[in-house]
Formats: sequence, C-alpha cells, structure tokens
Amino acid sequence: MASVDMTTRDNSPMSSTTGPTPNGPTMPGPATNGPVDDMPDDGIKLAIRRFIGRVVAVVTTLLGLLFLTFSMGRLLPADPVLAITGPEVSKEVYDRVFKQLGLDQPVYIQFVSYVKRVLTGDLGVSAITGQPIVTDLMSVFPATIELTIVAMLVGTIVGVPLGITAAVNRGKPIDHAARIIGLAGHSIPTFWMGLMALFIFYAKLQWVGASGRIDVYYEGIVTPVTGFLLLDSAMEGNWDVFQNALGHIILPGAILGYYSVAYISRMSRSFMLEQLSQEYIITARAKGLASRQVIWRHAFRNIRVQLLTIMALTFGGLLEGAVLIETVFAWPGLGQYLTRGLQMNDMNVVMGAVLTIGIVFLIINITSDVLYRILDPRTR
Amino acid sequence: MMKHLMAATFLVAAALTVPQGQALAASPPNMLVIGTNLTGIRTLDPADNNARTVSELISNLYDNLIELPQNDLQKMKPMLATKWSASADGKLITITLRSDATFQSGNPVTAEDAAWSIQRVIKRGQVGSTDIALWGFTPDNVEKLVRAKDAQTLEIELPIQVSTDLVLYSLASSSLGIIDKKTAMSHEANGDFGAGWLAANSAGSGPYSLSQWRPNDIAVFEANKKYWGGAPAMIRVIARHIPESGNLRLQLQAGDVDVGQYLASGDLDALANDKKMVIDNVPGLGFYYIALNQKDPDLQKPLVREAFQHAFDWKAISGNIMRYTGFPWQSVVPKGMIGAPSDSTSRYDYDPAKAKALLAQAGYPNGLKKVLNPSGAATLPFTEALQASAKAAGFDLNLVPGEYTPAFRERKYEILLGNSGARLPDPFAVATQYAYNPDNRDEARLGSYYLWRTAMQVPELNTLVDQSMKERDTAKRTDMFKKIDEIYKGMNPPLIVFFQRTDPYVTRASVKGYQGHTTWSTRWHDVTKTKE
Repeated sequence: MASVDMTTRDNSPMSSTTGPTPNGPTMPGPATNGPVDDMPDDGIKLAIRRFIGRVVAVVTTLLGLLFLTFSMGRLLPADPVLAITGPEVSKEVYDRVFKQLGLDQPVYIQFVSYVKRVLTGDLGVSAITGQPIVTDLMSVFPATIELTIVAMLVGTIVGVPLGITAAVNRGKPIDHAARIIGLAGHSIPTFWMGLMALFIFYAKLQWVGASGRIDVYYEGIVTPVTGFLLLDSAMEGNWDVFQNALGHIILPGAILGYYSVAYISRMSRSFMLEQLSQEYIITARAKGLASRQVIWRHAFRNIRVQLLTIMALTFGGLLEGAVLIETVFAWPGLGQYLTRGLQMNDMNVVMGAVLTIGIVFLIINITSDVLYRILDPRTR
Repeated sequence: MMKHLMAATFLVAAALTVPQGQALAASPPNMLVIGTNLTGIRTLDPADNNARTVSELISNLYDNLIELPQNDLQKMKPMLATKWSASADGKLITITLRSDATFQSGNPVTAEDAAWSIQRVIKRGQVGSTDIALWGFTPDNVEKLVRAKDAQTLEIELPIQVSTDLVLYSLASSSLGIIDKKTAMSHEANGDFGAGWLAANSAGSGPYSLSQWRPNDIAVFEANKKYWGGAPAMIRVIARHIPESGNLRLQLQAGDVDVGQYLASGDLDALANDKKMVIDNVPGLGFYYIALNQKDPDLQKPLVREAFQHAFDWKAISGNIMRYTGFPWQSVVPKGMIGAPSDSTSRYDYDPAKAKALLAQAGYPNGLKKVLNPSGAATLPFTEALQASAKAAGFDLNLVPGEYTPAFRERKYEILLGNSGARLPDPFAVATQYAYNPDNRDEARLGSYYLWRTAMQVPELNTLVDQSMKERDTAKRTDMFKKIDEIYKGMNPPLIVFFQRTDPYVTRASVKGYQGHTTWSTRWHDVTKTKE
C-alpha cells in the first residue's frame, strides 16, 4: 500500500506547489508570458496538456503497481487453491481447482491476460467470494469511502481549529493540551481504541451500533442507488435507516478521524505559526483589527492551500488506515476486502483493490489541483 | 469560515448524542442472530463446500437423506429417507424417501432429485466430493450406480467393497444435501449444473431458504413455514461476519447476537463468568499435532521423534490457551469412537531431561536446531508454547510464523504444528488422514493424507486402514482400530498428537436447542428463545 502512496505523491501537483511562498507563486512561465489576448486559449491548452500528462503518468504508475503487486503475490506462501477448497482436499480436486484458476499457465501469461481483461473493464472473479471483482467493489468501496469521508470531517473539524488555537496560543498550556490531544489519537492503537469506544458507547451507553453498516433488522429496506447508505436512506426519506446507519458509522468514523487529528492539527499549527510571523499580520494587528479577524480572515486564508495538501494526503492515508478499524467494527469495506485477498492470495482481489485505491489517488490529485486554482488566484 | 466549521461541529455533536436505543434492542424472540466468521465462503452450493461454517449454513437450506444426531453420531436417523437397507453382499443400498417433503419451489422431493444431487457432487468433482469419492464413484460410473428406481426409491450400487455404514454416514454430510433438480437445472449455464446460480441462491427442502447473501458480510435465512418437519420457531436466522472477537463478545452480552463462534480464549474466559451465557465445547473429529518431516535426516531418527514426545509441556497450556479448543488426547482414534484407547492421556509427559538424553543417544549431545512453523495464525499460540518448552529439552526451534498449510501439503517444512478436522463419524476418517499413505513418492502429491505430508509410509497401517473401510463387522473393525492405535503408539510416529480438537460455541442462556455439531451440520430447526 505504501507504494500507492509514494508513487502518487511524487506525481502529485501538491508536491510541486507546496503552497505559495512569501516571494510569490511558483508557476511556470507560459501562462504569464504570452500575449494578453491569447491567455485564455493557452491556459486551456496548458490545462488539457497537464491533465493528459497526469493521466498518462498515473496510468503508467497503475500498470507498474499491478505488475509489482502481481509479482509479490507470487512470492507469498499462501495458496489460492486451498483458500477455496480448504486444507482437506484430494489431489484430484486440488488439480481441478488449480486449473480452473488458470494457475497452470506461466506467470507472465497470467499477468498479460489479466491486464488485457482489465482494459475491457473486467477485473476477473474473486476466488474467495465467487463474485466478479467489480460487483464486490461496488459494495465494499462505497462503504470505505463513506467511512473515510466521516473520518475526514471529524479530522478536519477537530484538527484544524485545534492546530490554529495551538498556534495562536503558542507555548501556553492550551498549546500543550492540543499537542497531547492530537498525539494521543496518533499513538494509541486504533484497534484498542476501537474496542474501548465500543465498550463505552455501545455496551454501556447504547448510543451506537457495534458492527457492520446497519443493524440486521434494517437490512434490505433501502434500495442501494449510490451505495452510500447515509445518502441512499436520506434520498428515500427513510430517516429510521438513516439514523441507524449514522449510529453505526459515527464511532469508527470518529476514531479513524481522531487518528488523523494529530497530523492535521500539527501541520495547521506550523503553517499558522509561519503566517503569524509575517509582516502583513503585524500590519493588520497594528491597524487595530480584532484578533479573530486577523487569524481567520487574513492568516487562515493563506494556509488554505497548504491545508488542502495535507487533507488530500490524509484522505489517502485514511483509506489505507481503515483496515484495522474495519476489522474491529466488522465494516464490510475495501480495507477488509483487500486484507482478506492478501491473506488468501486472491490476486484478482488484491489487484482490483490496489487499482481502485490508485484511481482514488488520481481523483484526489485532480480535485485538489482544481481546488488550488480556486483557492489561490496566483496559480490560475 | 469559522461559522461554517462551528455549525458542522454542532451537527456532528448532535448526531453523536442522539441515543440509538430503539435501534439497538436485543434480537427479537423469533429471530436468531449468529456472529461468526464468513471468510472464504465463496458459494453456498453444497457440492462446492465442506468447511465448518458453511456446512452449518447449507445444512439448514438442504435436507440430507440421513441425519446424525449429535448425542449419538453413529446412530443414523431418518431425514428425507424413511428407511434404508443393504443387500446381503453389501453391494447395494436401497433407500426409501418420504413422500411429504417438498422443495421451497413447491416441487416434491423425489428419488430422482436425490440421485441427481449425488451424481452432481461426483461430476462437479469439487471439494464436496472428498468423502463420497472414496467409495469408488467417478463421473463416468456414477449415473449408472446411483439411480432412482421409482419416485420414492433410490438405489446406490457400490463399485468397490466398502462398509455400507461409511457410505450412509457420508450421505449425512452437508455436501450431500438434496437439491431441487428442476429449479437448479432451469438456471444451468455452460454445463455447470446450476452451480453459478446456487452460489447465492437456494433450492432445497430444508427448514430455511436463503433470502440474502453478501460474501464476507451477511447471510439471511427465512423460515420455510411449510417445512415437512413443522415450521421452525425462528422465522429468520441471520449469520453475520464479525471477525473481531472482542466486538462479538460485546454484542453477545448486549443481546444483539444470540450465538457466537470463533471467539478468542480471553473473551471465552470473560463469557464463562457471565450467567447469561452458555459455552458448549463441541468435540471435533481431529487433533492438534506436531508434524516432523521425514525427508529431514535428523528427524528421520526414531530417537529424535521419541525425544519430541517429551519436549512439549502440553499440560501447561491445557489449562489456559487450550481450555476451550481441545482436551488432552494422545491417540489417532478419537475419543468415544470404536477402538479408542483408555490410556490416551498418559502416554507421554513433558520430560526435558529424558528428551535431552534421547537426543544425546541419537547423536545430538548439544541439542538440535530446527525451523518450526504453525499451520496458520490459529495455531500460532500453541507453536509459541512448543518453542518455549522444547528449549529446555534441547531443541532450539526457530519459529517462523505465517500460513504454512500449503508448504505442509508439499512437504516443504521441517517441523509444523497444526490441527485437523474430519466429518465422517468413524475412526476410518481420521485413520485415513493420520495412518494412510499408499504412495510415498513426491510426485504422487497425496496432500490429503497427513502421513504422506510427513513422508512416512507404513505398509501395515495401509493394509489395516484399507481393511477398516471394507469390513462391515463392528467387532472386527474395533479390533482393527485398536491395532492401528497400537502400531502408531509403538512406532514413534512423525505426527505427535497432543490434543483432540473442540469447537467452542457460545449461546445466550435464553437460546434453547442450538447444538453445535461435531460434523458441522448444525441445524436450527429446533431452536427456540425464552424470555430473559
């Protein structure tokens, strides 16, 4: 998984424009050097060229990733045939299943035929669920994205104000408290925290659900349209289901979000400290502006792009970090799906999931690129 | 911006504090919720399965011809069959079917369906055929040998000499559930006998039908009100994938889950002290064993194998990590079965001094260094215990954790600790695994026989196992299993058995009639719930 992270990070627009510097934006020449009348056309062309370039880069990365994952899968001691048949199996049955899975073919042929199928949108069939990977992904992917979005909301809503408050009160007890709160979320194992939270909020207080996306009694009531249970139930106006689903997602979402608070708050604090030491802040204060206005209207605006970078990276990190939380809360998501695929050496599952995560990174990159342009006029 | 943030914070906080009490009521009195592990169940087609969890699910969708009652496994009970008989020469079994059973489609259950279901298992040749294929059926001969004489009479002609009881036992396995031929074949695609459709649908005559199936997540079963055995009390049964033991324990205690499977020993300890819980340790037909690869020149020496018998402090773990998963047992004939010995808990004790002396005698005065693997994550704690206690006995074992069943099947290991299971309630099933190896060559690839996996062959044992399959006289068979046990005991076997397996099932005290089954065909028909 780390490889997804690293490669896409390298290609990310964020790493080349880590926010505006006090000396001005780091934009390349053409957009500003061309004649004034040609600017819109050139701008569009440049944007298209960049977009295509990025897509090509990511597709190449994904292919490389598939190749690496595939090769690593062959080195694992797990046996996909036994994953299906169980250990008590006769030679005849073993051989039959071995052949059915195409494992009798040379490895490179297996890989080439896999890539060919992927290009036609066929990710193959999972050996462990017996379903097409696409069908499985349609069910597990929204579950994880929904969880990650909730986690992201929690992480941002808690992390950003915490970091900014800490920066404003640098060195004071509130700063130390913010650090402790943030680091606790990062240091306490999510596995343990999940069980403790379940004990308090599920077993004792009975505020939330314990496992899965919804109570079993509500299964099948809402017709899946988007796959996001909260959204689907809200669209149907089925508020009982909505409330139940919310009761199930809030705890794993909050814990996952809390995990990211440390990163988000520490980075917000450091970005903010940098801004607060700038001359324009001193000028604003000298002008007699209220402290709140100085912080939120002036300083905060200038760290938005940097924060966006942090949040985009965090989102990707949370997708990967969801594995443990998904296990504790029996959340039928991508993390569990991928882990099981790895354990059982179900390479179609592993590659399908890795490809999906890669595509998510691509989308995050492109979205944050667009958002940069909206938030920072100098990058347009 | 701040205002928006604040508003969002309040929204989330409000949502957090909304009590979900209504939704979290305990499971209703007419619904059974089972918390289990659904990993690796890719299809609910009986012919494609024989593992533990899936056997339970299938056994409630499909009836068998014969049922094995948990309180007396070898006393076969009629199910879809009303009676059965074997010809004097033991070559033909005639089974009469009941006439009042119908499939969930409304079609009557006939001998044609039964014959087709058996033929289908053999022709598909998937893992469900493991047991029944032992009796000599092949895709070529099965249609001729297993046939419907008339609507209610099934004939099974046996191609080889085999105890008819063994054949009848195998008919009770979940893989041999009787399928509605017409319905299944109406969904056939590419000659798959309806397997694609049956992966996520049911076509049985059992007390339940499948209403929802999401692999690795949930299976929902609706009661068949017209079931020939009477409508089940639980109108709905839900099997939910809850892989984390701590979470499952909390849900059992909260009453959201009625039955818990695959709980860790720490959680079982906690539940054992809860008066609202009942833990049933169901004995399984398998053992925890140490396998010593006989391709290794050191482990080939009988004295080294004997030293190993005294290198494991099994008593130390029988009181804690093994408390719910096994009981001391040192024979390859399972407890309670014909031929089971009486001295099987006192054959070898932990005696590091003796083990060291044996090692020295074998030519290793300074001890022996080997690689030790667990068969998988489940046996890792036992492997750690073995590593620790074997050190004092002169064995320096380098523990390498991971999934080593595939390596075990390919004889690519030195020492491995694993556990096994079987489904036929007869010592023959276990003897086949532990004492049978008809071809010791590598290329024979007889991975289903554990003795082959250790690369040892004992012709005398092969003969006895063969004979025990063919013999119909119980007294003679008892003697055979006794003899197998004696030979095994005396030969310093490469498979050292320490514990017989048990599978712990936790039920809430309000649940009555849920009885985990030794052959994994646990049925829910008689389950009821009382008020707490």
